[in-house]
Amino acid sequence: MAGIWICAEQTGQALELLQAGKNLREAGMAGGLAVLSWPGGPRPEDLGAGGADEVLLLPPPGDGQPLEAFAPAVLEEARKDPPDLMLFAATARGKDWAARIAGGLDAGLCSGCTALRWDSASGTLEMERLLYGGAAVLRIAPLSFPVLAAVLPGTFRSGPLTPGREARIRNLPAPPPSPVTVLERRPKERQGQDVTAARVVVCAGRGFEKPGDLALARELADLLGGALACTRPLSEELHWLPEDLCIGLSGIQVKPELYIGIGVSGQVQHLTGIRGAKLVCAVNRDEQAPIFAAADLGIVGDLYAVLPGLVQALKETTPA
Amino acid sequence: MPVFVACFKWVVDEAYIRRTSAGELDLSSVGYKISDYDRNALEEAARLKESAGGSVVAVTVGIPEATKGVKDALSRGADQAIYAADPSFGTLEASGTATILAEVIRTRVGTYDLILCGEGSSDLYDQQVGIRLAALLGIPCISFVQKLDLEAGRVVAERRLEDGIERVAATLPAVVTLLPDINVPRIPGVKDTLSASRKPVVTIGREELGLPAEPRFRILSLSASRLERQCERFGSDEADLRRFAGALRQKGILR
Repeated sequence: MAGIWICAEQTGQALELLQAGKNLREAGMAGGLAVLSWPGGPRPEDLGAGGADEVLLLPPPGDGQPLEAFAPAVLEEARKDPPDLMLFAATARGKDWAARIAGGLDAGLCSGCTALRWDSASGTLEMERLLYGGAAVLRIAPLSFPVLAAVLPGTFRSGPLTPGREARIRNLPAPPPSPVTVLERRPKERQGQDVTAARVVVCAGRGFEKPGDLALARELADLLGGALACTRPLSEELHWLPEDLCIGLSGIQVKPELYIGIGVSGQVQHLTGIRGAKLVCAVNRDEQAPIFAAADLGIVGDLYAVLPGLVQALKETTPA
Repeated sequence: MPVFVACFKWVVDEAYIRRTSAGELDLSSVGYKISDYDRNALEEAARLKESAGGSVVAVTVGIPEATKGVKDALSRGADQAIYAADPSFGTLEASGTATILAEVIRTRVGTYDLILCGEGSSDLYDQQVGIRLAALLGIPCISFVQKLDLEAGRVVAERRLEDGIERVAATLPAVVTLLPDINVPRIPGVKDTLSASRKPVVTIGREELGLPAEPRFRILSLSASRLERQCERFGSDEADLRRFAGALRQKGILR
């Protein structure tokens, strides 16, 4: 079986990629859909219901072994029976897997893939990704197969499930022990709303003068039922907010109904993280700030004067 | 004494990229810089040397014009630089860059302890060169590292993953790919710049390297990305803020 292999850490991510695979197959790309799993990984019954023909089942990861340790086993299987395309959910581990396997296969890897299209007339797999921090869009086609792509979670929508539909199970052998060992795992403490799932995102930028002033942005977020996020300088240089609230190409990508950037200048990497926002608003005192060219509604003014007035105006227009 | 290898890339500064009125990509007035994330790699290597001793070799693969970047890297704490240069290296894919880096490190550096790479380059952001490099050299790789320590014969690193922090260890030699928050890169002073011009640089031409890696992709198109936004402006007086709130309401955002 050539076809498409899918690797994701979570069931939801695997189902999104399964839908992407089904779309390619409907467009005429040949072969079955196989999904990688392991005890604690994506659920095989959901993968079957989501359209997988086969589940490539790995044994449980060894004690003190990172999930990346699976890569050599997957690589071996891919060498024996090469798929045409391998799709990875572009989480940190997913990107690591993809690069290791691509390196092992000496194959091309389209990272941060934003679109996939099969042109059956020419037999071309068209892949799209962003360059230069998001300033440019590159469309490429592989010159050889297998080819790999790492796709950001949320790029594709998962399709309907067919309950009871089952996938064949192919057992993969255990990989050799990894030279990298895990000493400690510290699960993320969930604080407040998940920004990537929030309907409204209020993003604080460099325009804020001191950390205590973020309360103004937080008040706006609370009023709109939204989550607070930030730009890279606030998390990386000033450490006012944690890294996982940093929006941008190398941070989180958000797709809210409403994004409001407060004191955000609008560097291209940041704008890449809000491409999927339905409505983009901005408050900045510099009318030349690049954010205004990327915003639907922009308020030119000092955030310290605008925010209290804006909160008041929003309260008045919100029905009691 | 440990040998640290910091890999860097000389890239187009995306802040200077413009869109023509026809919507095409305009690279005519761009400047160049050391890729943002690679500055973190150079910084971390310099810090490790400052605390553990040893030396730092900066390695790059790039176009001949990247000489300026080599000097920049040397002003950021590296002791020497190795520079594989060819006009064709400006369009290398990640697989090609990793192949040349591996050959250069294997044949010109020889013995090394830790190779430091940025998590990705700020132009292509493929996020795979460091990991592929480790695969080619057959040594362990720890990716997406936010904190790094050297212990007897091994590297201990904290990786930031979607579900939390993973602290891992690997024996040396190893490759690490670094997240940008691992450090704040220094800004070289006049003294650093002056001493950089006295440090040794080995330049390697394409003809001194093995067969170049074949590209894995062909380009169908490269265009300026479009952001279709309304760009409506409001002032900051009370009337305008009300008008803004009204616009949000009209769009069904306010519940």
